[in-house]
Amino acid sequence: MTTQNQDIMIPEITPELKRGPQWLQDKRTASKESYNNSPIPRRGLHLWRYTDPASFVVDKDQVVDTAFRANLNYTIEAELAHLKDGNLSAFVVDKSGRDIEINSSDNVTSDVIIISTLSDAVESHFEIVNKHLYSLVNNETGKFEAMNSALWNDGIFIYIPDGKTVEQPIHLLRESGLDKSAQFPRLLVVVGKNSEVTIIDEYAGGSETQSDNMSLTNSAVEIFGDIDSRTRYISLQRNSEGAKIYLAHRANAEQNASILTVPLAFGGAISKQNFGVTLNGEGADSKMYGLLFGGGRQHYDNHTLHHHAVGKTTSDINFKVVLKDKANSAYTGLIRIENSAKVCEAYQENRNLLLNKGCKAETIPELEILNEDVICSHGATIGPLDPEMVFFLKCRGINETDATRMIVSGFVEATLKQVPADLKEKIPEFVAKRLEDI
Amino acid sequence: MSESLKKQNLELSKLNEDYESKYGFHDPVDYFHKGAKGINHEVVEMISKMKKEPKWMAEIRHEALEVFYKKEMPKWGNDHILNEIDFDDIYYFMKPIDAQKDNWDDVPEYIKKTFDKLGIPEAEKKFLGGVSAQYESEVVYHSMQEDLVKKGIIFLDMDSALREYPEIVREHFGSVIPMTDNKFAALNTAVWSGGSFIYVPKGVDVGIPLQAYFRINAENMGQFERTLIIADEGAKLHYIEGCTAPVYSTNSLHTAVVELKAMDDAYIRYTTIQNWSRNIYNLVTKRASAYKNSTIEWVDGNLGSRLTMKYPCVQLLGECAKGEILSVAFAGVDQHQDAGAKMIHAAPNTSSRITSKSISKDNGRATYRGMVKIHKNATGAKVSVECDALLIGEDARSDTYPTMEIDNDQVRVEHEARVSKVAEEQLFYLTSRGLTEDEARLLIVNGFMEPFTKELPLEYAVELNRLIELDMEGSIG
Repeated sequence: MTTQNQDIMIPEITPELKRGPQWLQDKRTASKESYNNSPIPRRGLHLWRYTDPASFVVDKDQVVDTAFRANLNYTIEAELAHLKDGNLSAFVVDKSGRDIEINSSDNVTSDVIIISTLSDAVESHFEIVNKHLYSLVNNETGKFEAMNSALWNDGIFIYIPDGKTVEQPIHLLRESGLDKSAQFPRLLVVVGKNSEVTIIDEYAGGSETQSDNMSLTNSAVEIFGDIDSRTRYISLQRNSEGAKIYLAHRANAEQNASILTVPLAFGGAISKQNFGVTLNGEGADSKMYGLLFGGGRQHYDNHTLHHHAVGKTTSDINFKVVLKDKANSAYTGLIRIENSAKVCEAYQENRNLLLNKGCKAETIPELEILNEDVICSHGATIGPLDPEMVFFLKCRGINETDATRMIVSGFVEATLKQVPADLKEKIPEFVAKRLEDI
Repeated sequence: MSESLKKQNLELSKLNEDYESKYGFHDPVDYFHKGAKGINHEVVEMISKMKKEPKWMAEIRHEALEVFYKKEMPKWGNDHILNEIDFDDIYYFMKPIDAQKDNWDDVPEYIKKTFDKLGIPEAEKKFLGGVSAQYESEVVYHSMQEDLVKKGIIFLDMDSALREYPEIVREHFGSVIPMTDNKFAALNTAVWSGGSFIYVPKGVDVGIPLQAYFRINAENMGQFERTLIIADEGAKLHYIEGCTAPVYSTNSLHTAVVELKAMDDAYIRYTTIQNWSRNIYNLVTKRASAYKNSTIEWVDGNLGSRLTMKYPCVQLLGECAKGEILSVAFAGVDQHQDAGAKMIHAAPNTSSRITSKSISKDNGRATYRGMVKIHKNATGAKVSVECDALLIGEDARSDTYPTMEIDNDQVRVEHEARVSKVAEEQLFYLTSRGLTEDEARLLIVNGFMEPFTKELPLEYAVELNRLIELDMEGSIG
């Protein structure tokens, strides 16, 4: 087993990664060993029931220095214009987790936002990076988390010092390379006491068609919300049709901190995403409003975790799934409330809308409640468009296609409300694109 | 609060506190036959020989034992407790008396006393159409009302059924639950003994319930009853089973396999009130096949045992078949009730409902583990799943693991779960109307359990009310 995995590490990358301080190199080595020594997860394991882990293993002939799609430029132009108009605080283009270009708004000074590459931050903000990097997503989280922890080339570092409010969102565009490419982007966000920030994390690019050479993106995101902080994190996955995506997201909310996480997914061939928030201080609150719209032969596997580690914490999840064609989606979500975490409230909802025959949805909303002083509930539904709603609209002279579009728009509306205005214009585009050929 | 309600509730306040005196006794018995501990092909051969079974059954047993050896222990659920089981330290076959009796007077005095204490003959007189009482590995007493016999209803213990109706048994045995289903189903198939066999002919409505009572008396005993119930076209049946065991310091194993078949338009309700002592591992496989327009209802109450792993299943194989599972679990000190339900929709317009209620108290742990599967052809299927958990005590634990796999878009699936303690505002409401906090809490807990108790025949509901009693003392701060 061990030797076999040595083969599928990418030895060529390693010399290049031998920069940075010793502690970082030690972490990489430990992660590499974890990856090499851990077997590929068994399919029977709970979180691997629906997706073949072999999809995320790196092949020997995969490359990290890769070509990119040209037509993403229009996005970059548009976002740069946004930045210029003062609608963004910063715009970062992260190509393949290697070439990172940071554009900051003139209106935002460096005492409000510190944003840099992780390789710079390791030097310039040693203490913060040393304290937080690898503390939520590391070699012990799982095999593929170990893979990112060993192989990330460069990442993004965002630090909001105590008591600062960042008015406009920070937009990150993470671009994946074309066929055969493998990338390991990494993001570290530290939000100081009583600070506020909104981050839009957009994933794009990757292989354009499904083949044996599909691009692989294995991303790790760590977010820390200190006391009284307010963090909004929007993850928008709109990769190309042949992209494979593995995402490990973990956030930590301290006392009275609130975290809003909005996972949105429209792209990719195989997409396994894992969003988790730990409520680590009294009064902490986490909300997650997810939306996924799958078509073609897309495969989605989403997991959410709300971990109530201390008492007097609240959480709420609403994850919506719309599927058409032969797309399939598996959603698993866990709420865990520890024995010592008294007086908690936790809610979870997963609704799946199936637009035609042939698509498939699975849902496992789970509860693990280890003490009595809680209010906790979850609900899940899977069903087609309500024929009565369609009938009602048709009676009023709306044709079936438009009726379907209206009902789906209504279904996703509640989630879209949580999205910041500038991104909000984009989302209906994705929804509309999916609905075009109904 | 009325006197009678008060009395009822105070009785309710001590769940199984009197288990030791009421059910926990054991008889010193000279067994007619008591094999050696441990499991191997010789034990299987011995069981088969003692029963003078046909050769094909002996072959099935040996094959199943090989499957048992090969299958791994489940790696999910409470494997901590599961791995406590020492298969070599269990008696697989104990025969208390030489032959089964159909006259109560012929039953040996000590067994008679046991079942008298448990109230079985009394219940038979009052409201049952037939009774079967199993003591260790074999059914010791069996009877059925004359008129039911005349209607052509067959109600026998499984051993007699194999002798008298080998063709029917051979056709259906293992057809719903194959020996390869899981490790414990394989074990049961290898060493099964006792259990009930029921056949209800076409169009016959049994009218009054049939009952079986299962009793484990010896220490380190393994009870492996095998039940097969067939309701032919348009037939109707309600079957009830109850179980208790003495309190020992070492643990016993109860591994049953229950197969139900409801043919077109038939109806089967299967009610279980499981109240094993807290040193029993209760690992049971229960599954039903429901054909066209038929209905299967599992009413499943789990109060006793150390660890229960039981997920009654309905395979909806015929168009418009209905499945309903109502499951109640009570997990007290050191108990883990890992119960749930499975619904497999494999035909169009099938519908099902799962209602699960659990109470976890002290350090008890109640788990709902469910599976709803809708196959591609099950267009128009409807499913509703509802789980309610009540937590009493700081260390109580509740888990909910529902799985839903849907391969068809023209279906409706709903799932809901709630977990909470007794609500403050409900307590406040009741106490402001003059109830003490004790009484108020009891009333709320009773209300929580009512959807279950109201499904039981009256006499059972009364009995259950005594059983479900919550030991509320000390749970109020």
